[in-house]
Amino acid sequence: MTDPLHVRDEREARDSAATNTVDRPTSSEFVLEVRDFSVDYGVGSSMVRAVSDVSLNLRRSSVLGVAGESGSGKSTLVYAMTRLLRAPGVISAGNVMLNVTDDHGNALAPVDLVRANEKELRAVRWSHVSIVLQSALSALNPVLRIGKEFDEVLKTHRPEMNKTQRRERAETLLTMVGLDATRLDRYPHELSGGQRQRIMIALALALDPELVIMDEPTTALDVVTQREIINQLYELRTRFGFAMIFITHDLSLLVELADEIVVMYAGQIVERASALELYEAPRHPYTLGLLNSFPPLHGARRELTGIPGSPPDLADLPAGCNFASRCPYVMERCHQEEPRLTALEEGGRSVSCWLQVSGASASVPVELARTPRVKRAHPTSEEAVS
Amino acid sequence: MSAPESPTVQLSARHLTRHFVTRTPGKLRNDKRVVRAVDDVSLDLVKGHVTAVVGESGSGKSVLARMLARIVKPTSGELILEGTTIPSRAKRTLDYAAKVQLVLQDPYASTNPVHRVRHSLERPLAIHGAARGNIDALAKAALTRVSLEPPERFLDRYPHELSGGQLQRVSIARALCVQPNVLLADEPISMLDVSVRLGILNLLRGLCDDEHLAVLYITHDIASARYLADEIVVMYAGQIVERSHGTALVDEPTHPYTQLLIASVPDPSDPTSAATRGESPPIFEVAPVGCRFAPRCPHAMEICRTTDPPNFQVGDGHVSHCWLHADKPEAVVEVALPERRREGDTTKR
Repeated sequence: MTDPLHVRDEREARDSAATNTVDRPTSSEFVLEVRDFSVDYGVGSSMVRAVSDVSLNLRRSSVLGVAGESGSGKSTLVYAMTRLLRAPGVISAGNVMLNVTDDHGNALAPVDLVRANEKELRAVRWSHVSIVLQSALSALNPVLRIGKEFDEVLKTHRPEMNKTQRRERAETLLTMVGLDATRLDRYPHELSGGQRQRIMIALALALDPELVIMDEPTTALDVVTQREIINQLYELRTRFGFAMIFITHDLSLLVELADEIVVMYAGQIVERASALELYEAPRHPYTLGLLNSFPPLHGARRELTGIPGSPPDLADLPAGCNFASRCPYVMERCHQEEPRLTALEEGGRSVSCWLQVSGASASVPVELARTPRVKRAHPTSEEAVS
Repeated sequence: MSAPESPTVQLSARHLTRHFVTRTPGKLRNDKRVVRAVDDVSLDLVKGHVTAVVGESGSGKSVLARMLARIVKPTSGELILEGTTIPSRAKRTLDYAAKVQLVLQDPYASTNPVHRVRHSLERPLAIHGAARGNIDALAKAALTRVSLEPPERFLDRYPHELSGGQLQRVSIARALCVQPNVLLADEPISMLDVSVRLGILNLLRGLCDDEHLAVLYITHDIASARYLADEIVVMYAGQIVERSHGTALVDEPTHPYTQLLIASVPDPSDPTSAATRGESPPIFEVAPVGCRFAPRCPHAMEICRTTDPPNFQVGDGHVSHCWLHADKPEAVVEVALPERRREGDTTKR
């Protein structure tokens, strides 16, 4: 098989005609399918299960938000499924199917990232799946000029490009993320935090990937810069139609950006729903707690409590529901049986909580039984690309 | 709720200014430039009140906190602690440190990783002359004040054994154990997990309400400032651009920069917020002519580029540093806050 990476000729044309990238014919509806995925740290008696039994599908050109506290396993999940996790992290179960296409929109054979060898991974990384890390300062080489970073990527993955073409491509990318092309001659320390993060985004998009993973890209930035970057990402996503996995602890940010959100707690998905439904009608007490942890900008000031207590020790998980000790609605059953992620009757969403199981003895608290308004804050991915 | 009868100003800053001299890299020594980190800032920290300072990175808010703690010496201006003026060139004294304490952003960086919590708490006590027999009891009392109970469980832990929220409580306890009157908190929650942030904010509020500390809360999160503060001050490029008592500034922002800050906060309940856009990264005005926000301001007028605006009174205790409000009377800022506590507020605090 010829390497699909080295046959892209119409790349410049694609950049200028922005719309023709988004209607790639697709083999599968989903760009990423994760099944029963578990990740451990360590082996044997000292083993800790950081991600437990996670399944999810990522639709093409859609944005999946992953929310949770530190230690909830959100970063571990994403690093493990892209095989970036280092020892002592071990993938102990499950598979991750990546369905990508070549330049001409032809579907390539699905790759199981869990079983892929280094060569197969190398073919996929950056050109099909790229990542933006939280700390741009530590992700950029401090002794290289920005231009060199772009040059190296393109040199490796696009050997057919000459020096001038590489430079031009880098300039295009920088303009795309709203930076002046002269920044290519700067060193990372000469740029502000927001500019560095834009560089990281431009680098991630350098090879026109189908999936971009964002690991808390705006956490270290202040609100105004964060807003600019989020708007930029939204624009780029609409233009190029890549799918995104966005990890953050800021749920209100995710509600604005994501199509679908999964909330993780102690290594498990406790709730998944479309962004607006999750915001307006959370079904899991933990989601409700997270949403109530942000002081509002409007309305009367009242005392908020956040979520009492702290996350459980993964090495010593309680019997029953992991959230039981912090849950305001805890019942007898929560301490005995562990709830599983179950699809709800209202469709399209699932939750792992005994309160929401039909026929449960207790009545559902009113906060967890709201009906969402039928309205979206921004167009869905399908509308955005059509 | 037990507010003090009349506002008692614990610590005042008058015309505090700090300039840093920098040199352009690669140029010779004579190419000096001055960064006006903080320019002519006056502020009163009142007993039993939280004053919030909101601004982006580089707005000078941390330099302001460090000047108030007298870690950074002001270029000019003076500090008045409990009625006593402290000359800007005087050395920082132990007495001053006993009255004014600073809590920093990252608790893992501000505690010594090779020492137990006990060390972090007992050392300031010893330095500030607590009797040796009392030190253990005082350290435990400090931990109890920040709701780390039972204190014995925490005293002999190392910083890495505690969560971020717990360790931030330890660093607040360390500041409290010398019985200060003023607590300066520089972004105390920005490094913490969302679920524990409110706990720290409520703790600061409690210290203010129950123990009548004067608290300075520095943040870039205007929503948390609205939640916590009695007075909110917005800083941009070293200057105060808008200030108000209570939540007036957030509810009806009058300065374009405050409006930008508020529009930038992720707010799913407001679908228009995603459409708002900032212009360009902040800039340090090396030799400011006119309003510092003018290059980014959507409403910039001719006068903004030539003359720095004075402070205009746009409401009761609400002051805006913007020419858009030139029809309003000019404000006299240096007054202690009048009595006003969370009107129409139905909390159980």
